[in-house]
Amino acid sequence: MTRNVIELEHVSKEFDARGVKVLALDTIDLAVAPEEFVALVGPSGCGKSTVLNLVAGLLPPTSGAVRYDGAPVQGANRRVGYMTQKDTLLPWRTVEDNIGIALELKCRAVPARERRERVQAMMDFVGLTGFARHYPGELSGGMRKRAALARMLIYEPETFLLDEPFGALDAQLKLIMHQELLRMTRARRLTVVFVTHDLAEAITLADRVAVFTARPGKIRAVRQIPFGRERDAVHLRFLPEFGALHEELWDELKDEVGKGTET
Amino acid sequence: MRVNRGCSEGNCLSERTTWLLRAILGLALIAAWEAFGAFTGGTWTSKPSLIAVRLVQWAQRDLAWHVATTLQEIVVGLAIGVPLGIALGIVLGRAPITAKILRPLILTLNSIPVVALAPLLIMWFGLGLQPKIVLVALASFLLLFFNTFAGAQAVDRDMISALELMGASARERFQKAVLPGCTTWIMGGLRNALPYALIGATVGEMMLARNGLGYLISNAAGQFDMAGIYAALVVLMILGIIVNELANRLEGWLLRWRPVAAPAWSNM
Repeated sequence: MTRNVIELEHVSKEFDARGVKVLALDTIDLAVAPEEFVALVGPSGCGKSTVLNLVAGLLPPTSGAVRYDGAPVQGANRRVGYMTQKDTLLPWRTVEDNIGIALELKCRAVPARERRERVQAMMDFVGLTGFARHYPGELSGGMRKRAALARMLIYEPETFLLDEPFGALDAQLKLIMHQELLRMTRARRLTVVFVTHDLAEAITLADRVAVFTARPGKIRAVRQIPFGRERDAVHLRFLPEFGALHEELWDELKDEVGKGTET
Repeated sequence: MRVNRGCSEGNCLSERTTWLLRAILGLALIAAWEAFGAFTGGTWTSKPSLIAVRLVQWAQRDLAWHVATTLQEIVVGLAIGVPLGIALGIVLGRAPITAKILRPLILTLNSIPVVALAPLLIMWFGLGLQPKIVLVALASFLLLFFNTFAGAQAVDRDMISALELMGASARERFQKAVLPGCTTWIMGGLRNALPYALIGATVGEMMLARNGLGYLISNAAGQFDMAGIYAALVVLMILGIIVNELANRLEGWLLRWRPVAAPAWSNM
């Protein structure tokens, strides 16, 4: 492990909401090493998603530095795959055409035949078999999430930014997706920043969990999760260490959640 | 999921019965008109039988030519106005600074009742097809421009960002997100432009022309030929229905991805 893939140094982000300045992030420091899986947990509105937007280059920081692979992030960061909370599927494209869109682009230009095969495999993978010709407007929220996930997975970016990707999924499918995501991080040596409000999900998946405070978002605590990449997402939660970590992190989180709902 | 517009229990008419009732209603209306005409002499209302006779007479002479003239004005006018309107709408819609500077000009143009320009256009372009083509082109250009302009500004930024992160070039973002993102709005413009084209061409012909359906109306009126006026109106009505149906088909195809069902009217 040489240098960090993602570095945020004293980063603050202020938004101008109808003339009122709102501080979303307050001097955050965060570094993500290559092939590391970092989960950001915190009450809603704490600026977790803003961190992802900064790393993706969709927003500039108000102050501080955001670096990717050593270089400052300027404009859209094309080395990351970003799955936003709101799905950005194109409503006029069928599910299969949405999932395959990254492979149509000139920078990849995958031949049509190979594209079809990869799209088919990806749809089977996320459980959308049989919905190839449907339009996003005809899918349930969970299915749209899966289509958005498939659209990102298919072009294999080196870093994943995931904003509550499994929030709308049912419990069983969520478990399967957890296992697959873990398998994928091992197989493709991915770096992942994962935003969630589900503490158990964060501990299940991540190497490191950062707990955010309520707005303005600061990092309140960071814990190493010592389960390694070869963990088993289904059975992990029955380990006593899992319970202890959950307890410990919940202690950090619970005060903030209360604050979050008051504002 | 698609909205199922099937009829509910006890509120159902078979397709055949529906059409039968419609036909009876239509025939009853025509019969009532005929009776009224016969009773009053039909000086102002004419009679369906006279109108039918006039239509047959015209059909044997030059009706097809008049229809072709009006259609030609509409088609050529739309072929000029629609693409130009879409193109300029998208360009300005994606260039916020220029659009801001041109805003007063755009608002002024938007408030022009285009058919009122007909006399001016006739003076500029003479008696032939040109003034009507220009009128149709101008009207459809403005309608398409305003709709596309609004649509291009409303394209979801997050969709464009998502494509950009995937590595899409500016051109690809335009082709895959901006342009299709405008289709709903462009279709809205076409929905208005198609009937307006028919209006524009007819009004232009009514002012000053030697052929076309508008000319048939004004000519018949000049000779106090009631049956002729109504006959021309019948033809215009049929054209209007065809144009509207074409717009429906086009909309159904362009916006097939839209989950919300079209208004119940188009189901008839």
